[in-house]
Amino acid sequence: MKDAADQLDQLLTVGAMPTARPKLALRGVSRHFGAVQALAKVDLGIAEGEFVTLIGPSGCGKSTLFNIVAGLLEPDAGGEVLLDGVATSLLGKVAFMPQRDLLLPWRNVLDNAILAAEVEGRPKREARETARAMAADFGLKGFESHYPQQLSGGMRQRVALMRTFMFDRDLMLLDEPFGALDALTRAMMQRWLLDIWSRYRRTILFITHDIDEAIFLGDRVVVMSARPGSIKLERRIELPRPRDPALLTTPAFNAIKRELLDAVEEESLKTFAAGAA
Amino acid sequence: MNAALARGLGGGVLLLVLWEAVVRLAQVPPWILPPPSGIVATTWLVRSALLDAGAMTLFEAVTGYGIGAALGLVLAMLLALATPVRKLVLPMVVVVNSVPVAAYAPLALLWFGTGALSKIVMVAFIVGFTVFLNALDGLLRVDPAAVALLRSFGAGPLGVLWRLRLPTALPAIMVGLRVSTVRSMIVAIVTEMLGSQKGLGWTIFEAVLQIDFLRVWAAILVASLISLGCFAAVSALERRVVFWR
Repeated sequence: MKDAADQLDQLLTVGAMPTARPKLALRGVSRHFGAVQALAKVDLGIAEGEFVTLIGPSGCGKSTLFNIVAGLLEPDAGGEVLLDGVATSLLGKVAFMPQRDLLLPWRNVLDNAILAAEVEGRPKREARETARAMAADFGLKGFESHYPQQLSGGMRQRVALMRTFMFDRDLMLLDEPFGALDALTRAMMQRWLLDIWSRYRRTILFITHDIDEAIFLGDRVVVMSARPGSIKLERRIELPRPRDPALLTTPAFNAIKRELLDAVEEESLKTFAAGAA
Repeated sequence: MNAALARGLGGGVLLLVLWEAVVRLAQVPPWILPPPSGIVATTWLVRSALLDAGAMTLFEAVTGYGIGAALGLVLAMLLALATPVRKLVLPMVVVVNSVPVAAYAPLALLWFGTGALSKIVMVAFIVGFTVFLNALDGLLRVDPAAVALLRSFGAGPLGVLWRLRLPTALPAIMVGLRVSTVRSMIVAIVTEMLGSQKGLGWTIFEAVLQIDFLRVWAAILVASLISLGCFAAVSALERRVVFWR
């Protein structure tokens, strides 16, 4: 009976991938900086509409991986990055959100949100209309003409997310977007992000330090190894959606968490040992 | 009126009263230090000549200021885009700029004559350097992460310059512009002293030769007022333009 359920799960997860061709595929991606190897043969595929979370010890090359997927860095020769099965420069093709919100202090909420659209050459007026319509979804209604300095950390992060969503790309890269927020705000933002994601349906690669966050948000959690970074473990998260905070205390959640903690801890210790040596 | 302004005005009035009292009580000879009342009276007496001279100096300072600021800004933007050229040019710029500007004034008179042109060139020279160095510093001091973000949106070097570098540099540019107001008046007056037939610098020089020290002080008063006015105007502009600070 249990086997049958597992099989069904597997079928369903395979079924979730529309074709054999993933939205984003990394094949044997490595990267050196001088003598230091940051990434070692990373293989990773992300299906259309999938929410993948990535965790790993600090200094494992997550940022390098992100910069490569954002098109800001080239992988070493031999590695391939495919978007929709095609190897192209990813610059301008992926909606990228860095760790810090990087809001421009001379632009109000609306004008910060349309920055990417503006760079693309969309008329300001039209982009502002779109942003105005989206403001409520992002909890920014009534704050459209506030300046970033006037906003709380959570709100600033939502403006940055709105800017990322307005850069209309199928693949979104979020680099620890909630890392700097306090625990309560962060929990709220996580639920809110899931809600937004279910409405806008984008493919998301989400980096985080927080295992709870990784499990709570992801369809799949990817654990990176200590430097040089590679994929140590991939774990599909079959927890039902929509997810709510009660999930965080269920046995199923804890079982996954234990499994992932073991993997992450092992890698963290390696980093620690390497640092001590 | 805010408290700081009130304190400043109060201090100024106190200083003038003290000045007047000391000069009168100690019977300081007027060629060493005339009383403020005497300076004001003389200013009023020769007001039309001073107004003409002031207008001339202001014209030279403002024209040179405009040309210098525009050139400094354009050059800073060009060099912000062209890194290899910048690394070649910047050391030379710093060397030229470290020579006190008054040292170049005789050359300017030789090349551009004793009319307004030599003063405009000198003012443009000093303002251009100040604005250029401030602007370049601001343009280069952007957050690399913000540049990466704009590049990820597909922005090229020009897009990054327009949407990120220029606004980021605006506070530094405005500081350069504000500092330049006073410098432009100083340079115009000094160059006038060295060779001209018009302007406040020439008025001061001529009055010194005629041992008319009250007229010297009157010209200084007018020059100070013009300088203060320009400074206040640019400061007000700065507060409007750099509203997020």
